[in-house]
Amino acid sequence: MKSKHSTHIMGPSYKFTLLFIFKQGFHKIHRNRKEMGSRAVLLLVGPSPPKQNILLLLNYKKVSSAPSIRRRFTTKATADGSSLEPPDVARLAETARISLTPQQVEAFGPKIRQVIDWFGQIQAVDLDSVEPSIRAGTEGDDLRHDNPETFENREAIIVSVPNYEDPYIKVPKVLNKE
Amino acid sequence: MASTLFRNIQTVPLLLYPSAFFRRKNGALYCTIKSSSSSVTQTQTATQEKQQDPQIKVSTQTQTKTADKLIKDYEAIIGIETHVQLSTLTKAFCGCPYNYGAKPNTSICPVCMGLPGALPVLNSKVIEFAVKLGLALNCKLSLNSKFDRKQYFYPDLPKGYQISQFDIPIATNGYVDLDLPMEFGGGHRRFGITRVHMEEDAGKLLHSGNGIGIAVDLNRAGVPLLEIVSEPDMRNGIEAAEYAAEIQRVVRYLGISNGNMQEGSLRCDVNVSIRPIGQSEFGTKVEIKNLNSFSSVNRAIDFEISRQVLLHSQGQGSSIVQETRLWEEGSQKTITMRKKEGLSDYRYFPEPDLPEVIVKKEYVDSIQNSLPELPEMKRRRYESMGLSMQDVLFLANDINVAEFFDATIAKGADVKLATNWIMGDIAAYMKNEKVSINDIKLKPQELAELIASIKGGTISGKIGKEILFELISKGGTVKGLIEEKNLVQIVDPAEIEKMVDKVLSENPKQLEQFRAGKTKIQGFFAGQVMKISKDSAGGIFMRTLFRTAETNYIPS
Repeated sequence: MKSKHSTHIMGPSYKFTLLFIFKQGFHKIHRNRKEMGSRAVLLLVGPSPPKQNILLLLNYKKVSSAPSIRRRFTTKATADGSSLEPPDVARLAETARISLTPQQVEAFGPKIRQVIDWFGQIQAVDLDSVEPSIRAGTEGDDLRHDNPETFENREAIIVSVPNYEDPYIKVPKVLNKE
Repeated sequence: MASTLFRNIQTVPLLLYPSAFFRRKNGALYCTIKSSSSSVTQTQTATQEKQQDPQIKVSTQTQTKTADKLIKDYEAIIGIETHVQLSTLTKAFCGCPYNYGAKPNTSICPVCMGLPGALPVLNSKVIEFAVKLGLALNCKLSLNSKFDRKQYFYPDLPKGYQISQFDIPIATNGYVDLDLPMEFGGGHRRFGITRVHMEEDAGKLLHSGNGIGIAVDLNRAGVPLLEIVSEPDMRNGIEAAEYAAEIQRVVRYLGISNGNMQEGSLRCDVNVSIRPIGQSEFGTKVEIKNLNSFSSVNRAIDFEISRQVLLHSQGQGSSIVQETRLWEEGSQKTITMRKKEGLSDYRYFPEPDLPEVIVKKEYVDSIQNSLPELPEMKRRRYESMGLSMQDVLFLANDINVAEFFDATIAKGADVKLATNWIMGDIAAYMKNEKVSINDIKLKPQELAELIASIKGGTISGKIGKEILFELISKGGTVKGLIEEKNLVQIVDPAEIEKMVDKVLSENPKQLEQFRAGKTKIQGFFAGQVMKISKDSAGGIFMRTLFRTAETNYIPS
């Protein structure tokens, strides 16, 4: 009974923590699309089907209402934090539209796993005194008035477009993979 | 002719054109479904389409019967996703101005171009509009919600992801009420709203004819949208089209979007499935895109229902697959766009660059208190004023017409007379000149004045009409025009009597005939009096006096 619960709750909250970390410190790196490593980690969070993300929230709330249970689980998560399934690197590469050689696929698997395990340590943090939140550490209210402002260096953007035929950006014909 | 007839007969065994099954239903357009404020009498279209060649009509009816029989055994389940482009001045996450029709790729910046290091900041209007719509659709609002990233790769999306809301949309679990047009039997409907969420639009792709490449315009990338997902509550094309029309009315009443389908400010994707009546599981769902008008929503759905029913009834139910189909306006058919192979994997995760969206209860309350009267409330109010449903639907369809009407009756105008003037001569003028009620120079106060002047007997109905057209095209006041043109109805008996005498003495021939017993000629005299009085002789007074005058001339 206990173990059934632990897998149910632990998995998603584990992922949640990962996202949390990302948001806190890594989003700048993430935005740089050339930084493949960070992207791969990010994608590892991704492949969970949407439904699981909903579960994540529900569970998170559920857990927070019973702090003692939660602590037990978080401890447990650290103990067998590496019980996750190995990442499907080939699939991750495909969803990120990057090509990897079989050697690279093999090499990346353990590395990604290492990063996740590293993040997994956060499960040990005691959050009992922390209010549950759907987003971390923000007060909100970071809003903008609806005042138009024309970006002045548009030319620089246009110049950096690889194939621009005034007034359009030209791209090769692509098939929608989605 | 022969070939047309032949083709129609052929469709019965071949069943190539299932849309023909619905021709009878599709023929008439419904009065409340209109995209522009100026369109008025759709009934005309209806009559035109109904006036088919009688021979063709016979075969159509036979088909309709067959289809009706088939369709009776099935139930269609329809849900709609509507994207509403918000009429904010700037984009959702950057200050780039958005103007429809601007030169491509002029309104761009590092944020909406997805350049490294650029960070989004949410436009406060987006939240305001989302809360407004959520309340108007009777939704439960999430006081705390967030943005998520939806990943997909396509050239219309420079960032490689769309900022959207995934598991915690800003509004959920609402409904919308509407009245079906009288042409379709009328009736009140309530359709559920699953959710409303905020997201950003993608750029526009122009597929060039030569097939070499795609031209991209990113002006629209980052423009705020609200996506409204309905419950699968609709059962036919009319209900779906009316749902979409009601959404358009709501966003226009709220002033959060122009709701223009032609410009793409209101876009509908519909999901259609059928199941044999009595079956509890849903059938395979097909999505239809490229619906640019309410009537195409209606026709595309009815086509799709008959296509699916046909396949089902022929034992080919398994060939209905989950796919996206495109509505082809030219051929009036849906065609396969792409098959869906499993669910798309959008790899949603919380948007790290944006804070939580926090809406305070006081803020929600203040918006709730400032909401305008919404279409459903307006219809119920008009109904309680004693107007027919036809009138109610016409007046409430267009916010500007409704406001004009409200302002007119606020000036004390008779409700039914005001309705008649607006739905009659004013609507006809707007239709002919292709203008909206805001473009005409007639002011509600003057319409009220005009109605009062006729009712009070100052001017005749005929003169009222003349003044109306002058007021519509040139403006001015009723009082001013009456004075300027000396149009005051003459009610002074002495003056009218003088005129009657004049007419009688000037037309001895007619008087002779009249004396000979040709009493019908009385109308001629009346006309003459109106002529010399420039239509201002008070009809009732004139007739009475005329009769008195007559007696003096008719030998007893």
